[in-house]
Amino acid sequence: MVRWCTASLLSFTLFALASADSFENTAIVRTVELGGSLVQVTTTFAVKALEANSKVYTVALSDAEKQTASWLEARVKGQPNVLEVADRGPDSKFAVPFQHTVSFLIFYSGVHLLDISLPQPLGLNASTNIVLETIQTHATYPWPERASQQDPQGLKYKTDLLVLSPYRTAVQRTKIRSPSPSVHSYTTPENVGDFTLDAPVTKSGATITYGPYNNIAPSANEKFISKHQQPVFIHYDYEYPVLQIPKLKRAAEISHWGANLNIQDDIHLRNAGPALKGHFSRLEHQTQTFYKRSAPHVIPGLTLHLPAGIRNAYYYDLNGNVSTSRLRTAPSVPKNAQANQYSLLELRPRYPIMGGWNYSFTLGWDSPLADSASVDKTTGKYIVQVPVWTPIPASVVNEAEVKIILPEGATDVEFATPFPAVSSAMSTHITYLDTVGRPTITLHFKDLTERHAQPIFVSYNVPLSAHLKKPIAVAVAFFSVFAFALITRRIDLRIHKN
Amino acid sequence: MPTAFPLPSDLSPATVTNTASLLRIVALSLISGAAIASRLFAVINFESIIHEFDPWFNYRATRVLASKGFYEFWNWFDPTAWYPLGRVVGGTVYPGLMATSGVIYNFLHALNLPVDIRNICVMLAPGFSALTAWATYMFTKEMKDESAGLLAAAFIGIVPGYISRSVAGSYDNEAIAIFLLMFTFFCWIKALKLGSALFGTLAAVFYFYMVAAWGGYVFITNMIPLHGLVLILMGRFSSRLYVAYSSWYAIGTLSSMQVPFVGFQPVSTSEHMAALGVFGLLQIVAFTQLVRSHVSSKQFQDLLFLALITVGLLGFVGVVGLTYKGVIAPWTGRFYSLWDTGYAKKHIPIIASVSEHQPTAWPSFFMDLQFLIFVFPAGVVLCFHQLRDEHVFVIIYAVMASYFRRRHAVAFSSLLDTYLDAAEPADAAAEESTSETSATNGASGAAATTATSSGSKKAKKGPPPAGTTALTDLVAVKKGDKPKGIFGLDTRLAIVMNAFGMLAFFVFHCTWATSNAYSSPSVVLASTNPDGSQHIIDDFREAYYWLRQNTPETAVVMSWWDYGYQIAGMADRPTLVDNNTWNNTHIATVGKAMSSTEEVAYPILRKHDVDYVLVIFGGLLGYSGDDINKFLWMVRIAQGVWPEEIQEPNYFTPQGEYRIDDHASPTMKNSLMYKMSYYRFAELFGGGPAQDRVRQQQVPKVGPTLDYLDEAYTTENWIVRIYEVRKEDLLGRDLKSANAFAKGKKRKRSKPVSRRRPIV
Repeated sequence: MVRWCTASLLSFTLFALASADSFENTAIVRTVELGGSLVQVTTTFAVKALEANSKVYTVALSDAEKQTASWLEARVKGQPNVLEVADRGPDSKFAVPFQHTVSFLIFYSGVHLLDISLPQPLGLNASTNIVLETIQTHATYPWPERASQQDPQGLKYKTDLLVLSPYRTAVQRTKIRSPSPSVHSYTTPENVGDFTLDAPVTKSGATITYGPYNNIAPSANEKFISKHQQPVFIHYDYEYPVLQIPKLKRAAEISHWGANLNIQDDIHLRNAGPALKGHFSRLEHQTQTFYKRSAPHVIPGLTLHLPAGIRNAYYYDLNGNVSTSRLRTAPSVPKNAQANQYSLLELRPRYPIMGGWNYSFTLGWDSPLADSASVDKTTGKYIVQVPVWTPIPASVVNEAEVKIILPEGATDVEFATPFPAVSSAMSTHITYLDTVGRPTITLHFKDLTERHAQPIFVSYNVPLSAHLKKPIAVAVAFFSVFAFALITRRIDLRIHKN
Repeated sequence: MPTAFPLPSDLSPATVTNTASLLRIVALSLISGAAIASRLFAVINFESIIHEFDPWFNYRATRVLASKGFYEFWNWFDPTAWYPLGRVVGGTVYPGLMATSGVIYNFLHALNLPVDIRNICVMLAPGFSALTAWATYMFTKEMKDESAGLLAAAFIGIVPGYISRSVAGSYDNEAIAIFLLMFTFFCWIKALKLGSALFGTLAAVFYFYMVAAWGGYVFITNMIPLHGLVLILMGRFSSRLYVAYSSWYAIGTLSSMQVPFVGFQPVSTSEHMAALGVFGLLQIVAFTQLVRSHVSSKQFQDLLFLALITVGLLGFVGVVGLTYKGVIAPWTGRFYSLWDTGYAKKHIPIIASVSEHQPTAWPSFFMDLQFLIFVFPAGVVLCFHQLRDEHVFVIIYAVMASYFRRRHAVAFSSLLDTYLDAAEPADAAAEESTSETSATNGASGAAATTATSSGSKKAKKGPPPAGTTALTDLVAVKKGDKPKGIFGLDTRLAIVMNAFGMLAFFVFHCTWATSNAYSSPSVVLASTNPDGSQHIIDDFREAYYWLRQNTPETAVVMSWWDYGYQIAGMADRPTLVDNNTWNNTHIATVGKAMSSTEEVAYPILRKHDVDYVLVIFGGLLGYSGDDINKFLWMVRIAQGVWPEEIQEPNYFTPQGEYRIDDHASPTMKNSLMYKMSYYRFAELFGGGPAQDRVRQQQVPKVGPTLDYLDEAYTTENWIVRIYEVRKEDLLGRDLKSANAFAKGKKRKRSKPVSRRRPIV
């Protein structure tokens, strides 16, 4: 009971900040850039403060939106700094205590609140523009679900008509931009007479605009949602394959003796476009390739940007080396310099990946350790940066496991991830010439996009004795072999001496 | 030890021994290095990959052993092979190879060296070739001396005949078996020389290892008794022979019976009877000797001799009788085919269809052995010079090997080399009388071993000192022989150059043959781009990987048995038949399905739960090892079981030609194999003449149609084509009329379409 009270009290103060009259949205514009695996949603909130010293602005996402939004970033329009976003978590568990205290905010599962801390508090009637950028994954699905080799690729995207907000909104509109003008269908919303008298939706070229809708009451509550919110479907043509990586395993091995950072990715690639109807005909595929009219849902190959300065790149799968690829390496770039050159890998799978097909492979390379490591002058610790993943353009990684293998004998291991990992663990990895094994950091991530390809920073100490472990171990091993030979040659085990 | 140069007198004997020993170790390491390195062409030109067909099974079995442990492997029942029968792998396999890799794997991992099991398998054969070189050295050392041993080691290290079966990636039983063969023989010779039970037991242990590793152990099983028998017949019976043979046979046979695949064969099959017989004979002879030493009566001895022969004859008759009555299994067909090349063709098509079982063509002997083939007879002759017990062994080996040359090309070559050791003396014999200047030889560093060996050879024969001052100190052993021979420097030089040239060309030939002929993995094909760079044709792995990634794990794949192991290894899917050709009927069933019409084949496919059918088609690229070229074997094997349904002549044109073009026989055109190979092939040429590049014939413009199968996948160069077997029509129609309906064809009521003709 006591805990309940404190919880509700605490929450009350939190929710008081989000009360309906601290802000007003003078305008909300949501732009949806449709894609294959990734859909980019940019929502601009023109905000006017109704209270002095308003510091926290709250945005609401529907549960579905929250689930698909794998990347979320808020900033004040025109400013480079990213604002701090605090997630209140799934609201349902807060909902019960609040029903008593905050009568006008009844939260049920279905709405997710995020608190954005403004860089400076807004005065009364001051206004600002907040841009919320999200990248949605798994938000589209192929429609029709099966397509033959010649068919175009259609995708469907589902979203909600209205942008939810705990505040009153003067006007809002949603622009949905398809990558090609051929939009097969889109939903025309009904019962929006409360908000607009014009056509609820207009289409021009590849852009479909819902709104403007005026005078929307605070909408992040069940009552509003059940009354006004409705789903909107867009069915559009997508001319590129839909890439999905159900599983990615990255192992980064840091070697001080070799001055080497080895990165190896085990990638399980899947074409998440419409499944192939019927069967694959090589003849048709070759004809299409010959006339350069490849079907949109075929992955004939990938072009990857690997870091500059890599060596010994390898690409194999369970059946051995795949020799159909080309790599153009760029010279090494000094650390922290802006790399404008990449090693370009034209990767060709063993077979063209049709809709619904899988292909798993291993890709790895060595890179100079100096390009990604440095020594902290004050503490003498090594700092190494390892990218979470090397992006495959326009693809989503469902599950990623990143393993960072530190040199043998590394101590004081600390790491910082650019965004929170699902889980992290420390273990020991034993490999060539090891005696006690190497400390290993294992991190798990979910739903990675190109935006997530940021470095993980790892700092550690390696004492001199740990450095010397290897040469000593090798020397001892060789010495014992020689000593053994030396002794056996001089020992006579014969019973009858001749 | 004999030396070519007089040693400085101020050296202690220990220094000399140690230096010689060091030099030998260095030479042997260099030879091992050369042996390993020359087998790496396959890895350098291609990659670290398992080659061909059988190695893929061994590799798969090894992976099971490495991941699940020996016990699991021992009891492994593989339900995915020979679907739906399955295969008891643990009991039908020679586990020596896998166990060896497993031990190496676990040993390395225990040392924190996490080497991939594939790399261990790939590098096993080269590694063991180094051991073979060492074993050959030991063996030849027993025959002659260390120098000849080094030369023999060098020969066996790089001779193409052996390399052909032991390049990196050729992960087959022969990879370790040749070493075991050599080492068993070494132990046997050593045991015989010393009369040592220890070496006899060692020979038995390695014999056991050999039994566990390769079916070719029968060669040892017959070779050693033969040697023993010949020695007895030559009147060379000795207690040494008795000890060596008895210890080898008793322990070797008992231990060999521990291998499940061998079981009771050593006491029940004819192949093993010779060893048993000689064992018995030895006991009798030894007993006779014992009695004679006590009785010492000439007549009694004669009597015993008679009794001996009687008993021997009785034993032989007994064995024959038992064989006849079926107590002892008669010799298997495979064994007959070893003796009589024609046997297989006449009686067992499935054996004849294996390329390994074909007799070796004569040119390949030169390819594999080069000049060794010429020095071989000379070596045999030289063995007669100094006919000790072990030389008898080599002579028997020679006779046997030249007879068994077909299958035992490898053994033959290795034998050859053992010859070599002896043959090199032959070589040297010709030239040694010239007292060659080993100094010149030695100067050319490449042939360091040659130098030592030829030098020592000369030393052995003790040729007189040459006249020139430079050569006066050449002779090591002076026995006060009268100087005779050729003393002119020019003559000597000519001989030396000749010998050196032969050796040098041998090295070149070996390198060339290895890199060009024996280093292709055959899973991967190489061609050359217009700019000279290598182009890899990787259709097999493409297709197998597609199967592995995009079909359900339980999808049953039917293909001709050649590809069974590869499908199991690379695609990880159940197969109907594979390279372990134990069930002729099952193979014939696949043959029948491939060679009959769709209507006949479809029930067979459905009854065997076949989901995919895989065929190899080389017509686009000119890959001649494809299924259409193998097709007649399928027909023949199927005919063996269903003679009234499948008849080979039906697949030929009336003129007796094997054609695939417009003139092909209707049976041929309607066969499933033909249809699957050429399905939509002509369309690739866009209306132009469609050429089959293997058979150099024009494919009919209107290609075959398929009603019961769907094309599921075709690789980039069309080498592998995979078809999915369609399920029964949901409305209960037969698939042909269902297809016709789907295409909008009207069913002719008045004149029903003949079932025989494909609908166009």
